[in-house]
Amino acid sequence: MLQTVAAAESPIPGRGRSAIARKVLLYVLVTVVALVFFIPFVYTISTSFKTIPDSVNVTLIPHPWTTAAWHDIWKNYDFKLYFRNSFFLCAVIVACNIFLGGLGGYAFARLRFPGRDLLFLLVLATIMVPDQLRLIPIYVMLVNWHLVANFSGYIFMNLVTATNLFFMRQYFLTIPKDFEEAAKLDGAGHFKTFWRVMLPLALPAIGALTILQFQGTWNDFFWPLILFQGRTNLYTVQLGLANLRFEYTTLWPQIAAGSIIAIVPILVIFLALQRFFVSGAVSAGVKG
Amino acid sequence: MATASATEAAPNRLRSSMLGARLREAGWGYGFALVPFAVFGIFFVYPFGYAIYISFFHWGILGKQAGAAGTYNYSKVLHDHIFHIALRNIAEYTIAVVPLEMALGLGLALLINQKIRGRNFFRSGFYFPSIASSVAITVIALYFLSPTGPFNTFFGFSTDGFGDANTVGWSIVGLNAWTTSGTVMIFYLAGLQAIPEDVYEAAALDGARAWRTFWKITFPLLRPTHFFCLVVFGIGALKLFDQSYIVSGGTGGPNYATTTPILYIYRQAFGSYDFGVAAAAGVIFLGVILVLTVGQWFTLGRQEAG
Repeated sequence: MLQTVAAAESPIPGRGRSAIARKVLLYVLVTVVALVFFIPFVYTISTSFKTIPDSVNVTLIPHPWTTAAWHDIWKNYDFKLYFRNSFFLCAVIVACNIFLGGLGGYAFARLRFPGRDLLFLLVLATIMVPDQLRLIPIYVMLVNWHLVANFSGYIFMNLVTATNLFFMRQYFLTIPKDFEEAAKLDGAGHFKTFWRVMLPLALPAIGALTILQFQGTWNDFFWPLILFQGRTNLYTVQLGLANLRFEYTTLWPQIAAGSIIAIVPILVIFLALQRFFVSGAVSAGVKG
Repeated sequence: MATASATEAAPNRLRSSMLGARLREAGWGYGFALVPFAVFGIFFVYPFGYAIYISFFHWGILGKQAGAAGTYNYSKVLHDHIFHIALRNIAEYTIAVVPLEMALGLGLALLINQKIRGRNFFRSGFYFPSIASSVAITVIALYFLSPTGPFNTFFGFSTDGFGDANTVGWSIVGLNAWTTSGTVMIFYLAGLQAIPEDVYEAAALDGARAWRTFWKITFPLLRPTHFFCLVVFGIGALKLFDQSYIVSGGTGGPNYATTTPILYIYRQAFGSYDFGVAAAAGVIFLGVILVLTVGQWFTLGRQEAG
């Protein structure tokens, strides 16, 4: 890489100092860029502990220091409910995607049935159907079926995605067939083989799927907006935050606290399991 | 004894039991795929056709109205100057944001690809904004750049980057270039790591300096990544919605400056309750995306080959 170039240059007399200068420049650059990336977040945290009059000051240390905005947003602005709603949707949708994506993925990876490859192409084709086209028909359908007054419509449309099914299939393909043959010899049926043998073996794939689907559902704004707008008892954190901003334009400490609540679950998962995110992003991109 | 008949019947029984196993396996296969297929059928395939169907009717809040609309909805969308503004907005936005996020992403990747301490920390830090909630990021940007926010107070300005029709587009470009550059960086890092080391060694032997090495070797060799990012992030940019919705409070204002095609569709449906027109706009916009995608593949794909 580029550093190899620098290393190869250094034996030449007079290049030693420029290599150090280069290094210093590099660190200055990366620090400046990192500051640009982090300052807005740092300010948001600081603002969430400020009073409203103090929130327009550029000072980084809140004066006076208060957790009033946090209490306010959690209790008075119902973020406790929104947080629970978001978590509930994430848990249900992730669980369904693991089970159904795994089931379908296993069928396409291992079971032989007529028309399998053609049907698989059909599954992949659904990835291409864009949301802006599905918006109107799905809304009309769910209203006609009376599935918008609660979470069921949103859950049904997210039960399993083609991306997750594809992801599970690709992982099952990498597992040696010996495991299934051993299970068959023990007299296990197809479902038992899937449930007891193959799904536990696919744990790394399940981990990655969980993280990516959790992130997708947690951050989803478009569909909750379409399906839940106006029904405050169904609001997710994202929808609640957007509406907080519309109704109380300059309630900055509360808005800052709400933003942190909307970000932190993803931050925690990201810090704990970041290698899944990066590999997931690359493989998701390669697929698309 | 029975052995003779048993050996005679064995191949037959074996064949029939194998056929049975095959049938059973196929049955389980269809069974396993049944629910996923139902979901894809109901929520992907059927809506595709249903959208086209709706677009040919007068369709309001109470559902389909009597009598076909013919191409009325389509001509209404195509003659609506707000739809023209939406198309122009999204064209300008895409042309501005894609090169910017690619340049930023490549810059970040080059930085991270150096031998520096805390590489993983910086990489994670640069990547994080692109996986964090778009609503929260947009709200934070609104706060940070508000007329009384930290940015203006610190520099002594009083600009309203997100409130002024002339600057709001650029503010969203800047915001999304910032957040998306982390994802672009990941792809460029993968691209950089795919370049074989000996290419650089050869360049170093020829005495090429870092800058020259970058433009003559690294940049051209990253061509597959450039191509990939241009297609993926180009199409992603066309679907801008969350940020313009949050910034404008769902109105697409000020003065339609934040109206994107998807926001236009949303407003036709949930502002004017004209689902027929909204569906027609969806079909038209999908057509635009398809034409652009195919066009991109042809022009860039040919360059790629040649």
